[in-house]
Amino acid sequence: MKLSLGLLLALCLAGLQFVAVTIVVFSSYVTSERALLEHARDLLGDVGTNTIEHSKGFLSPAKGAVELATRLAENRVIASEDFEQLEQLLFQQLQISPQFAGIFYGDKSGSFVYVMRSEGPGPFRSKIIMREGDVRETDLIWRDNQYAIVSRKDDPQDTYDPRARPWFQAAEADLTSIWTDPYIFFTSQKPGITAASPVFNADGGLRGVVGVDIGIDAISDFLSRLDIGESGRAVILNKNGDVIAHPDQDLIRRENADGTFRFVNITEIDDPVARAAFSGLLSGRDVSVDREVATRFEFGGSTYVSTIMPVISDELPWTIAVYAPESDFTGPIEANRAQNIWIAIAIAIVSGFIGLFLANYIHKPVRAFAVRSALVSQGEVLPTDPMPKTYSELTRANETLVQAIAERKRSKTEYDRTFDLASRGMAQIEARTGKILRANKKLAEMLGYEPNRLAQLTVHDISHADDPVATVFLSDVQGGGSEYVHEKRYLRADGAPLWISENVIVIRDDTGAPLHAVVTVDEITERKAAERRIQQLNLDLSHSTRVNAMGQMATGLAHELNQPLVAISQNMDTALCLLRNGTDNSDELETILRETDQSAHRAGDIIKALRGFVKKESVEKAEFDFAELVEQTLHLVRPEAKEAGISIVTEIGPLDPVYGSRVQVAQVLVNLLRNATDAIASGSDGENRVTVHAENSDTGTLITVTDTGPGFPDGTNVFEQFHTTKKEGMGLGLSICRTIVEAHGGEIWYRRDAAGRSQFCFTLAALNPKPSVHTRSAESV
Amino acid sequence: MSEPCIFIVDDDDDIRASLSRALRTRGYKTEVFASAQAFLDSDAADRPGCMILDYGLPGMTGLELQKHLLERGSRLPVIFITGHGGVSEAVQAMKYGAVDFLEKPFRQEKLIERIEAALAQDARSRQSEESSRAARIRLETLTDREHEIARFLVSNPAQSSSKEVARHLNISPRTVDHHRARILDKMNVASVADLVNLCIAARLFEDAAPVTTDR
Repeated sequence: MKLSLGLLLALCLAGLQFVAVTIVVFSSYVTSERALLEHARDLLGDVGTNTIEHSKGFLSPAKGAVELATRLAENRVIASEDFEQLEQLLFQQLQISPQFAGIFYGDKSGSFVYVMRSEGPGPFRSKIIMREGDVRETDLIWRDNQYAIVSRKDDPQDTYDPRARPWFQAAEADLTSIWTDPYIFFTSQKPGITAASPVFNADGGLRGVVGVDIGIDAISDFLSRLDIGESGRAVILNKNGDVIAHPDQDLIRRENADGTFRFVNITEIDDPVARAAFSGLLSGRDVSVDREVATRFEFGGSTYVSTIMPVISDELPWTIAVYAPESDFTGPIEANRAQNIWIAIAIAIVSGFIGLFLANYIHKPVRAFAVRSALVSQGEVLPTDPMPKTYSELTRANETLVQAIAERKRSKTEYDRTFDLASRGMAQIEARTGKILRANKKLAEMLGYEPNRLAQLTVHDISHADDPVATVFLSDVQGGGSEYVHEKRYLRADGAPLWISENVIVIRDDTGAPLHAVVTVDEITERKAAERRIQQLNLDLSHSTRVNAMGQMATGLAHELNQPLVAISQNMDTALCLLRNGTDNSDELETILRETDQSAHRAGDIIKALRGFVKKESVEKAEFDFAELVEQTLHLVRPEAKEAGISIVTEIGPLDPVYGSRVQVAQVLVNLLRNATDAIASGSDGENRVTVHAENSDTGTLITVTDTGPGFPDGTNVFEQFHTTKKEGMGLGLSICRTIVEAHGGEIWYRRDAAGRSQFCFTLAALNPKPSVHTRSAESV
Repeated sequence: MSEPCIFIVDDDDDIRASLSRALRTRGYKTEVFASAQAFLDSDAADRPGCMILDYGLPGMTGLELQKHLLERGSRLPVIFITGHGGVSEAVQAMKYGAVDFLEKPFRQEKLIERIEAALAQDARSRQSEESSRAARIRLETLTDREHEIARFLVSNPAQSSSKEVARHLNISPRTVDHHRARILDKMNVASVADLVNLCIAARLFEDAAPVTTDR
């Protein structure tokens, strides 16, 4: 489909605008979303990193606590077991270490000193458990900052035993400084960790364990203060999945059956989003990851992003897990994006309209030019009329066209005059149908029609039924040449045949399909008549030479005919004898009669060959079997050859049928064979033999007659008329042979073969008679 | 002596077969040969009978075969058959002693007649051959002088008186008489005339020329 310039411009200017805007919007849509998600991930990562840094802030005081515990263990006060001094020492240490929740010492006997911060009645509280065997005494002492006692009381219900606590057991087991996992402090019920060091006797045995409590509730406070999007959260998980820090501190604590507290596990925490986000981590029995892991997940119809950081350090095997709903980050941008799309649509519509306007503006002069061209072609406007205002390129094109139109008109006028006034018949005929589109006066005169009448006929109507029509006028024939020359008969209006020579020039379109043909016709009636007279003379001549040859062969033929006659008469005599004898000889009689029949046929064949050879031939050519013709011809020439002591050998392979005049081809063969036997009779090398060889060749059939005679002297033109080497010859034989062979589309020549023997060769054209012409009726073939 | 046979020499298969069969039906014994050479290669030439010979044989022609047999001394009678008999060919054949020269196609009665004639001729010639062979044997028994006198008598039957012979041979007439009686006795003839007939029939003394006397 061809687009008009107007449509093309509109599409380019308006459509392309729209496409460009759409591409920009789409691209910004995609890239902004990607940037946003990366940003969210970075943000969560930052939160994790911040949390890690903050958590590490607890590490150094904790390390300090361990160092302190160790130093205390080496202290002589602790070594002296003076619990009052010990309490004071621990108090002083606690006072200068604000991060610490409490400092304590417990020995192997179960005695215990613990100084911790308190909310009242004094800022500090000491708990001292003295144990002598099974007797224990627990003192609780509240003090102010100056170590003065504010309040004091006994606690006889107290059941605390330091040796049962995890820090004691861990230090006792490892005999070195240890960290406990985070746990809920017994007294304050706050989360924390404990650093503990063993204290040894002079003899190296364990005397007790000194420890420091560090609260980690501050981390939860830090987490609750973090801004992660609008509703994002960060939690800290211990490696066993316990939630040790959460923005909502109350959620992480759970009471055991015995009234103590423990951390809630991530799988049971009352924060469904966190549970959904991170409980899956526990499936590997360990929540730690090697590197920062960012994931997306769906919960409750919303999309969340989460990041999990690797553990902080060996001492703090904690994992920071951060999550936030994606909408916290993408929400504002999506709003922004919708706004962008509306702006883009507005721009696309406006620019589209501008584009259409521009297209119309550019196209207008072209349209005007097209309208004018249409008017010029319809003849309503002269090409020389002034042009509408347009582009210079179109103006130049118009000038070229105007010239071309003028040129075409002139050549058409010339062609028309040539056609009409030509001294030869001319017609323009449609391809395939053969309809006569136009015919000139001369052709009408030749055929005896009114000029207008011819234009209502087809080429088939004016062609003689027995003559071929050029293939271009047949609907069922493809291809064909571009020019043919035929000699054929037309039919005049009065039905009389008219011999003409027609020259057909085929006009084809770009694809090679024929459109019509220009036919030029010359009358050749007189020439044809002359040709026919010559042909008839040739036929008469060849016939009389055949009769002449037959006269020469008559003696031999008579002998050949006598042979079967003798056989017949002998057989008849035998039969009569047998009958006269009267005995039953039916078997023998049957043999005799059969042989008699064969002899009669033998005689008949000879007579048939003889009659076929001397009959007057017609001009008609037909298909015939060459091998059979050779066989029949040998009947005629064999007697002479035999008498001269010459054998005739045939070498005839499988042959295609030959197309031509049978009697004339027989004449050629008889002539060549008799020449060959005559040649041998005039002198031979002793091997008296004539060989007839026939085979299919590229162009038809090739026949070779070879004799063992002396041959012709070099340079003899053997086919020349009245040239003869024989006493009684007329010198016409070979000349007639050449005429006949050439009339059959073949060639005849003389040569010597490799062994120096004389050879006459001739060809007969293949069966397919005329390749470029298609015959209309089967009878005319 | 074996039964006479008709030898057919013709290159045409049909003619050989039909002719041989026709003659056999009529009670003759036949043998066929496709070429002159085939005939020569057999012993047929020396057997009793006659020959039907195709004049236009390929290779060695009928006439050549006839000539060849004559040179070999065979006296087998020949009947020529020919497809195109020219006068000159017929003359030549008859000169060599052919029984007849029949032109194809020929009437059967004529052929049979010729065959009968030929067979009779063959039988005759074979018989005279026999008697001349006996005469020749007897001639061998004559002494040189007797042989000389016999030769003179046969060569000059007009001068057969004892005187004439004696004068011619320079011996006495009585001696001639004596020898003549011995000759007639040895040759088993009654008279000098019978002797002359016998010798002519047996082709004895053919080289001898009559002596002309200067009387």
